[in-house]
Amino acid sequence: MTKIGRLKMGANLGVWGIVLIVTAIVSVASVAGTFVYLQMSTRQKLVVATTTSLYDTGLLDEIETRFEEEYPIDIYFISVGTGIAIQFAQRGDADMLLVHAPSEELKFLQDNYGINRKIFAYNFFEIVGPTDDPAHIEDLSPTDALSQIVAAGRNSTAVWVSRGDGSGTHVKEKELWAAADFNWTLIRDEMGWFKETGSGMGKTLITANGLGAYTLTDIGTFLAYSAGSTNQVPNLKTLVTEGAELLNVYSAIAVNITKNPKANFEAATTFTKFMISEEGQEIIGNYGVATYGQALFFPAVNLLKNNTDPTMAQMIKNYAYFDDDDTRTECPLQYRYGHPELYG
Amino acid sequence: MSAIVELNNISKIYGEITAIKNLTLKIPHNQIFTLIGPNGSGKTTLLKILAFLEKPTKGTVTFNGELVKEGNLDRLRLHSTMVFQKTALFDTTVAKNIAYGLKFRGLSKNEIDEKLRSVLKTVRLEGYEKRRAKKLSGGEQQRVSLARAIALGTELLLLDEPTANLDQKNMSITEAAISQIVQERNTTIVLATHNMLQTKTLSENVALLINGELIHVGKAIEILEDTKKLAGFARIENIFSGISRITIDGTAIIDVGDDVHIEAALKKEGNVSVFIKPEDIILSKNKLTSSARNVLKGKIVEVYDLGSVVRLKVDVGKTFTVQITKRSFNEMGLNLSTEVFLTFKASSVRII
Amino acid sequence: MNLRSKFIPTIFFISFLIVMTIIIVLVREFREGVAGAFLLIISGNPEVIEITLRSIYISGTATALAIVWSVPIGLIIGLKDFFGKRFFKGIFNALIGIPTVALGLVLYLMWSSTGPFGFLNLFLSPLGVAVGQAILITPIMVSFTTSAVEAVEPDIKDLAKTLGASEVEAAFAILKESTSGVSLAIVGSFNRAIAELGIALMIGQNIRGQTRVLTTAIAMETAGGDITRSIALAIILLAIVLSINLIINLFQRRLK
Repeated sequence: MTKIGRLKMGANLGVWGIVLIVTAIVSVASVAGTFVYLQMSTRQKLVVATTTSLYDTGLLDEIETRFEEEYPIDIYFISVGTGIAIQFAQRGDADMLLVHAPSEELKFLQDNYGINRKIFAYNFFEIVGPTDDPAHIEDLSPTDALSQIVAAGRNSTAVWVSRGDGSGTHVKEKELWAAADFNWTLIRDEMGWFKETGSGMGKTLITANGLGAYTLTDIGTFLAYSAGSTNQVPNLKTLVTEGAELLNVYSAIAVNITKNPKANFEAATTFTKFMISEEGQEIIGNYGVATYGQALFFPAVNLLKNNTDPTMAQMIKNYAYFDDDDTRTECPLQYRYGHPELYG
Repeated sequence: MSAIVELNNISKIYGEITAIKNLTLKIPHNQIFTLIGPNGSGKTTLLKILAFLEKPTKGTVTFNGELVKEGNLDRLRLHSTMVFQKTALFDTTVAKNIAYGLKFRGLSKNEIDEKLRSVLKTVRLEGYEKRRAKKLSGGEQQRVSLARAIALGTELLLLDEPTANLDQKNMSITEAAISQIVQERNTTIVLATHNMLQTKTLSENVALLINGELIHVGKAIEILEDTKKLAGFARIENIFSGISRITIDGTAIIDVGDDVHIEAALKKEGNVSVFIKPEDIILSKNKLTSSARNVLKGKIVEVYDLGSVVRLKVDVGKTFTVQITKRSFNEMGLNLSTEVFLTFKASSVRII
Repeated sequence: MNLRSKFIPTIFFISFLIVMTIIIVLVREFREGVAGAFLLIISGNPEVIEITLRSIYISGTATALAIVWSVPIGLIIGLKDFFGKRFFKGIFNALIGIPTVALGLVLYLMWSSTGPFGFLNLFLSPLGVAVGQAILITPIMVSFTTSAVEAVEPDIKDLAKTLGASEVEAAFAILKESTSGVSLAIVGSFNRAIAELGIALMIGQNIRGQTRVLTTAIAMETAGGDITRSIALAIILLAIVLSINLIINLFQRRLK
């Protein structure tokens, strides 16, 4: 009698039994399901490390949608700071980079992490500031504008807000200070008018808006904040947009497959080709017109290949091309691999 | 009479504490066996050993002739069950509580339902099946525990202070239930208590335990008469010894010393020991004229607030323990040193 | 006195609701956020639905995984006495407060392509986030389960045994008594998992259509300037957490 009783007890674990069994099943199903799904998937995976300022414009989401319709490749965009994007690529966690920091990109190539660099777009940073422009910088050159701002700042009539976070934009700002003959390390300590937020572009704009201050911004973020459904920065307006120093050039670099065999070089190449194709360049050139009334990016491929605007082309070559013996090129020969048609 | 359990020279030691020392005892079949002793005397430990929940540190235990070892503990526990002093209930319905143990004995659902109804009837809790056990009153909870144990039908049933903390109604239901079990089946009941009076009404054989040692085993009467050993802890209040003289009317007057005389409806002469239940004594501020033969004047020397009742110690030459309701206490405006009168009938005086 | 104390909690709750409503109406972002949330939910915006389902799936899997190893460990620690018991309990208690970003970083380094466990392909996968969250919530689940078991009256074990249970069966009886405590452990763990950001961000990287969950989406929308949308998502997250808690609570009552 007792043995039967005990068996009944064993079978009748009650609620706990049910809970444990259910969770065990769910866990096994999830884990197994994931692996099976991955095996069965006929689509490839391409991991693209890019910067927040590029991703946050929304351009890449649109490119992704169009690309994934035509190719059996799922793009995974990792959007982080420039430095971290490069690290991901170095560690092989990404298959390619989309960035806008030529000095860093050169180093990436030189350290043999990257191959087949291709410039696909460009635009300009801009200096924005209070609508009444107390430092009178509107339409000046970038360096002149900065000088005015410093003077006004020391006079307590203007304030400057800096990101101060080592991002691509911040790097650009420091280059501008140098070009205007200011020592950034000294300037940043001048109390009262030089403020550092240490945070992203959006928060920095909001801070500048609140303080009625001047700041350097990329065009995409500023449009998103000012021309979106509501203007979040009504006290700011664009003041300085022209000048070679404000040039911002975007390139794609594939992770070096000889150094990192697990990288999906094939898919990276396919994607790069898409970006520089007619279709890709058209998407890039049209992006933002509907929403903001102006394009956020300018296509670079045709410009550079056929020299359609010599002055502009020259600016880009000066800023974003690298030395290769006695010429300058977007990708020196020793860093090209397997796809000469990219540079034909 | 054969023994269901034999304890041979057992001791139980917990670290530095010796709960039971060199105890040898035979529990006879099919009767109610009482363990008496003050709190801390080892009664609960002994019951746990009989329930096979604990093993003695030294000595042996046999059950129906079989030696108890580690290997057969699980099986033997099916033959013995214990009702704890502090009610333990599973946080579920009354029905599930009672059915818990039955599941180990392979009963069918119908058999379990049958048993359930039967034991609930025995403890007068019919219809309580779906009630949540932990939400019942204290008395009802203890009755559920008892029902749960009875339902198992074990050969050995151990009860630790089954009627302590029970009011009159619950106490009588419990006592009736216990008697019913003994009459209806072949069950041996071992009952631990510090309430002397329970023994006289319910059992014959009694073992007295003090400080873990077995002082005496024998008939209830023998132990009760040896007042020296008991009066220190037993819940008998108002015990007095003295010389009794029979009067012309047929009652006895007992001189208990300190100029206190108690009139009792007894026919004994010579040395006697008597006690009066505190509930039988009436307390008043003024002398009462009544049919009661005993009227003693004294002062309140101690007050114990027990919630709804108040226990008082009154010094009339000897100290009496009296019990009244809190309400009366307040209404009468009593306090320490208040002068009061104690009144009780000659028939309330009982012999030990 | 009895009558008043019964209504105090209700009064507090109602006043709280009134204050919240006033704040929501007065602050523009909240007004738009709440309105936006209703619109998003009612319109059945596919992206929002996808993100919500993914959050529940990932954190649900994380909880299920964690239950499988945490509850048994918690039960054993609670039931048994062994050498170093206090030490283990202390460690689990301390680990409850791991900063998610720190854990996320450690896991990334392990699962990165060049890391020792890169071959598992957990980086940038929903399963990876689930496993990471499961690790995160393990200490909570173990600690709460242990407490729940220890809170059971010590007499229950003897009670079960004297009613005929073997050691193992008695252990089950204790477990059954600790059900409400263990449910709390599980629900609390799920809450922690679905509301955390550090691991989802580090391991999942908020990839649209693949690993984007409520918390990472909220972070992105906030940083990107669309406060309205981020409030909407936050409300959805709150609603999920509250509903799950309510459901489990009701379910618990029925159980008993």
